[in-house]
Amino acid sequence: MWTYISRRLIQALFILLIITGVCFLLTHYSADPMSQYANKQGMTAADRAAIAHSLGLDQPLPVQYVKWLWLALHGNLGNSFFSRQPVLTLIKERLPLTLILMVTAEIFIIIISLILGTVSAVKQYSAIDNIITSFSFIGYSMPIFFIAFAGIQIFAVQFKAWGLPYLPTGADIWNPKNLGVLIRHLVLPVSCLVIIQVAGYSRFLRSSILEVLGLDYVRTARAKGLSERTMLLKHALRNAALPFITIIGLDIPFLLGGALVTESVFAWPGMGRLFWEYAQRGDFPVVNGVLLLTGSAVVFFTIIVDVLYTFVDPRIRLS
Amino acid sequence: MKRSMYLLVSMIVLASMLLAGCGPAATVAPATAVPPVVVPTQPVAGCAAATGTAAIPFPSGGKTVTVAFSQEPDLLSGLFSSMSFAQWITQGILVGLGTWDANNNFIPELAVEVPSAANGGVSADGLTITWHLKPCLYWSDGEPLTSADVKFTWQVEVDPGNAVYTRAGYDQISSIDTPDDTTAVLHFSKLYPGWQTLFTSGPNNQGSIQPMHLLQGKTALESDPFTHWPTISSGPFVITDWVAGDHLTMLPNPNYWKGHPKLDQIQIKFVPDPETAKAALKTGDVDFVPDFAESDLADLPALEPAIHTRVDAGPEFEHYLFNLGIKGTGVGQSDYAGFCPFHKKDERNAIILGIDRQTIVDTLLFGKTTVPASLWPNSYWYNTSLTPYPFDPTQAAALLESAGYTAGADGIRHGMCNGVDTKLSFNFETTTKQLRIDMATAVQGMLANIGVEFKPVFTPSGTFFGNYASGADMATGKFDMAGYTTGFYPDPYTDGFLCSTVISNQNQGGDNNYHICDPALDTMSQAVNASADPAVRKAAIDQIQQYMYDNALVIPIYARANVMAYTDRFILPPTSVISGMMGDMFDWDVK
Repeated sequence: MWTYISRRLIQALFILLIITGVCFLLTHYSADPMSQYANKQGMTAADRAAIAHSLGLDQPLPVQYVKWLWLALHGNLGNSFFSRQPVLTLIKERLPLTLILMVTAEIFIIIISLILGTVSAVKQYSAIDNIITSFSFIGYSMPIFFIAFAGIQIFAVQFKAWGLPYLPTGADIWNPKNLGVLIRHLVLPVSCLVIIQVAGYSRFLRSSILEVLGLDYVRTARAKGLSERTMLLKHALRNAALPFITIIGLDIPFLLGGALVTESVFAWPGMGRLFWEYAQRGDFPVVNGVLLLTGSAVVFFTIIVDVLYTFVDPRIRLS
Repeated sequence: MKRSMYLLVSMIVLASMLLAGCGPAATVAPATAVPPVVVPTQPVAGCAAATGTAAIPFPSGGKTVTVAFSQEPDLLSGLFSSMSFAQWITQGILVGLGTWDANNNFIPELAVEVPSAANGGVSADGLTITWHLKPCLYWSDGEPLTSADVKFTWQVEVDPGNAVYTRAGYDQISSIDTPDDTTAVLHFSKLYPGWQTLFTSGPNNQGSIQPMHLLQGKTALESDPFTHWPTISSGPFVITDWVAGDHLTMLPNPNYWKGHPKLDQIQIKFVPDPETAKAALKTGDVDFVPDFAESDLADLPALEPAIHTRVDAGPEFEHYLFNLGIKGTGVGQSDYAGFCPFHKKDERNAIILGIDRQTIVDTLLFGKTTVPASLWPNSYWYNTSLTPYPFDPTQAAALLESAGYTAGADGIRHGMCNGVDTKLSFNFETTTKQLRIDMATAVQGMLANIGVEFKPVFTPSGTFFGNYASGADMATGKFDMAGYTTGFYPDPYTDGFLCSTVISNQNQGGDNNYHICDPALDTMSQAVNASADPAVRKAAIDQIQQYMYDNALVIPIYARANVMAYTDRFILPPTSVISGMMGDMFDWDVK
């Protein structure tokens, strides 16, 4: 086990090095930070040169990368080109609310997917399976911004107009430290994320359970006289959950990256917006900082998922 | 053995990471704004003590409004941020010596009066400007605001240790005398006709007065916590709270010279999506959205009477420009030559006559703005004697016919240009903004009708506006025609037409995007900056517009508008084209 983890950690460091190099290169060519000053009349060539110098943009790209990497190894992701704030500060400011949104959504996604996927598989081709399947396809085929705006229009705008209890648009000033207020503000964005994700996950789990239910050991379990419930929960679901765990495991790191569309529509001050707003302006330190964070999370959560496999499935040996 | 090997390598890697982490850390700017230490204040001689030392708390039942901004400001200093959202807010907290009223008159703010030749504030040669500050001015922390702060602001601007985004004008000041607390005498080394833009605060000015008592002795002020979040104020409001990515709160400055603003609180919420902003207006979550796009005019008027829409003239205009570059390495020459037919007046004229700009305004902009005849519409500097080019496809076709361009089998004209058979087919580059895409699509159809192939290329603005070093097409001259917004800020900038500013490998810092080098235009542009007399400058600027109009050098498409919407309870006073919709927060009110 420890040998395996050590080997994967070493691999992870090299993978991260490659990720940072590729990301640095891509972000460099995605936008020019100096374009923010392009249409500012009166700026002289000397003004532009001074700003480029202060941002380190007058140095060759490999030098910029090595300097950034050296700082990153010191736990310092540099300063934003525009707000001049340390990137870590910007991330720390946004991460908690992103985690609140994404973790809440993920919990609901897992629970609802498990329920719908299992029911749908066990009651294959029944009316309830058809209903779940239909709604899954509807949810899966709708763009999230449509669901988000529809939610705002119905539950915030119209409900208020009709004199009913209504949900906030997200554009109000609110205090996330007040639990009741936080929950009210979570309802719409979490619902949007859940609708989109549950549709795919429940279908995935359904097919996975159906595949397991057709295997010999399930027939043997039934022949042993096990109840359907015991057979399903102790045998079928445990095996069918393996690929589901992989998907969830790979999802977790992306929770850190936030949900750009949902955060934008509901004015949620999270990581997705941080990344997008700074990427548009060519703020490389912030963009690379967020990418490093999510990249590291992907790499390390992949290792964790692989290790978890051994606990869920005794057939798997890390060696 | 293998296991031990892995363990050893992993230990070495982890140890090296730890050692790297323990090494000397690089210099990093302080993290967040720290409230300044309030020192005991001494009243200005002959004045009463400051009214307070901190923002006035929001009273129960007080008047408040919530404003939605589509973007969060990066930092709140006009000196260091080029971001409009930053400069809008800065207008309410760090003001300048002068400002512009709703009628676009330059009026005093912290000063007693605007310097002029008549009041002795402008010397005969225009090289000495004397400002007199109002007596008994205080910062919101109770410290006196004096002419020493004016001088300090200049020192901040010209200090090479500070990454201000432009030193234009400030670098023409040789010295500032402060004979007393309320007098600042500016000595210019050469004539700077746009001196009114210095030491003033506005959407495109970088001169808000800086507090010497907090910043003196510091350098690299772009990274100073005060620059990110000014915790004291010389304007009507003080920023008391800023939740990153979410909102900021402004409360009244107890020492503002005008007194208490009409509102007790302004909160600015960052709402990136305009559809959410519209929904929030309907629910009353926000009261005012000052930065809708022109394309939002499609559905905003339908929100009346609960939500009012206002379209104010702006200082900017959208224009299409021909690449007039001449390939070469000399002064005024570019790395690439512009599209050959664009070097001929009749061909340029035909293109202009083939574009129905009024239909673009009527359909895509819902008739809420205007087609300008020339540059700098909505300003004192606009040449009102000119009338917009008409839409005349017949004449356009005739001009192309007479120039020898006849339709080919594919319907696109071609003819000889400098001895080379040239097809009237060219690229047009602009940003990915939806309105620009819609306009380009319309223009494509219009020009196709006169046998011209207009091929739009849409580039993200971060790339489109890139500089020469980044290889951006417009800067390097690798384009045929381009389209973007420019304007007067608040003084027309004519240096961008000079031969000496044509961007090329030899002149990478230039800003002549037109790549034009025309000796006549050069002379006229230089004349604009040869006098400080507004009447003389106006005549020179009129002449430039006439020349550009007669020679069909640019295509003004439409005058940009500021599209705002607000709830019925919010009272938005008239705004200045120059200072913009956030220029008069003092007079904002609610019913």
